[in-house]
Amino acid sequence: MRAKPISDLARPSLAKGVRLQIDSATNKNVLLYPEGIVELNETADEILSRCDGRMLGQIVRELADAYQADSNALAADIRDTLSDLERRKLIVFK
Amino acid sequence: MTAPRPYALLAEITYRCPLHCPYCSNPVTVKSAVPNGEQAEPIALGTAHTTTNNGELTTEEWKRVIREAAELGVLQIGFSGGEPLARRDLAELIRAARETNLYTNLITSAIGLDDDRVRGLRVAGLDSIQLSFQSDEPSLADEIAGARAHERKLDVAAKIRAAGIPLSLNFVIHRRSIDRLAQMIALAEALGAKRVELANVQFYGWAFRNRAALLPTREQVNRARDIATAAKARLTGKIDIFYVLPDYYEMRPKPCLNGWGHRYLTVNPIGDVLPCPTASSAIPDLRFENVRTHNLDWIWRESESFNRFRGTEWMPEPCRSCPQKEIDFGGCRCQAALLTGNAANTDPVCELSPNRAVTDAVLCDANSSSDDWPEWTYRTNPSPLPV
Repeated sequence: MRAKPISDLARPSLAKGVRLQIDSATNKNVLLYPEGIVELNETADEILSRCDGRMLGQIVRELADAYQADSNALAADIRDTLSDLERRKLIVFK
Repeated sequence: MTAPRPYALLAEITYRCPLHCPYCSNPVTVKSAVPNGEQAEPIALGTAHTTTNNGELTTEEWKRVIREAAELGVLQIGFSGGEPLARRDLAELIRAARETNLYTNLITSAIGLDDDRVRGLRVAGLDSIQLSFQSDEPSLADEIAGARAHERKLDVAAKIRAAGIPLSLNFVIHRRSIDRLAQMIALAEALGAKRVELANVQFYGWAFRNRAALLPTREQVNRARDIATAAKARLTGKIDIFYVLPDYYEMRPKPCLNGWGHRYLTVNPIGDVLPCPTASSAIPDLRFENVRTHNLDWIWRESESFNRFRGTEWMPEPCRSCPQKEIDFGGCRCQAALLTGNAANTDPVCELSPNRAVTDAVLCDANSSSDDWPEWTYRTNPSPLPV
């Protein structure tokens, strides 16, 4: 578990050696890293596609708009997903 | 059954290797490519210093294999061997793999990797390097490798980091090296590795011959397990630690390959396509198809070798009625073949296997031997080293 919650100002990015790309067999995005592949569900894909230097706060706003969702509940879900990915060293915060 | 799509290709581009590790899982001899069903003749394995290619696939043939793999759905490619750096066209093959969007891993001993080649590999788009180490302790490491390699590995690890290529360390652990597990993990930390694989030796190919010298004792295995578990917890978020269990000591078999012909395929140096890298030596009655005579798609979907153990229909009892059959897939076909003489048997590591006694007898010998370190036979290549 993280000691502190992820700040709205944090900028999640893919860790070095991790690639996000389309899987031509399924037309869905996958994460590729040394000896590993993660097939992404729609939510994870929407989040990771925005892990390019944008701040967490902005990612939450964009997804809340896109899905007409409550941004507080959504922010908690996104933070959970991001800390899981951070623990697996697939993303870093800049 | 219908073939699923594969995810990863292991490209064994050469069997030539400058090291002589007794735990090598490569076959002792390799058949030459078989044109249209003619009888295959065993050919000598070359060394890193020979100039002949011993029937290895050409650059253009490998590029075609890479394209066919990508079309089949493969997402990751591992360049392995032998020592893949023994081929001068390695960077060109990596570039070809990147052009088809494959994630590229290099699995290497580091021998032959200088500044220029590190730069060349990075420019070609190499995604990650797995560097093998024999021990943390230089004299033991060199003794295991049968070559003075350790200092060069340390030097190359620094070069890889400086080039910004993600680095993993691979250790094969065995009776002689397992007691230094904690120090091996410390070496991985010191070298800035992102990932470390601590794999207990698996007994295939050359390693099968050296089993008595390599199989650790139960006491060693228990200590190592505790060290690996503690290190995993301590280094969470810093280094990913993968500890591969010594399966003879398990009561249920490993889920080998996640199922035969399910996720992985291997192409060996002469172009034979294998469901598992050790299958060609362990299961001699299985005929493997070659990329020179068939395309990869046909071999993966239609060939007898890929379909023989695909799914669960082939399974005998006790696997057939076992609730674990979709979890461990009956274990390892090569191990069943090597230990029971029949690749279709339940892996004799399983406590439910009627052949578990075979595994227990091996463990009994390893734990009652008065010789702490029985002698091993170094991996050798049949052709002599030129002066």
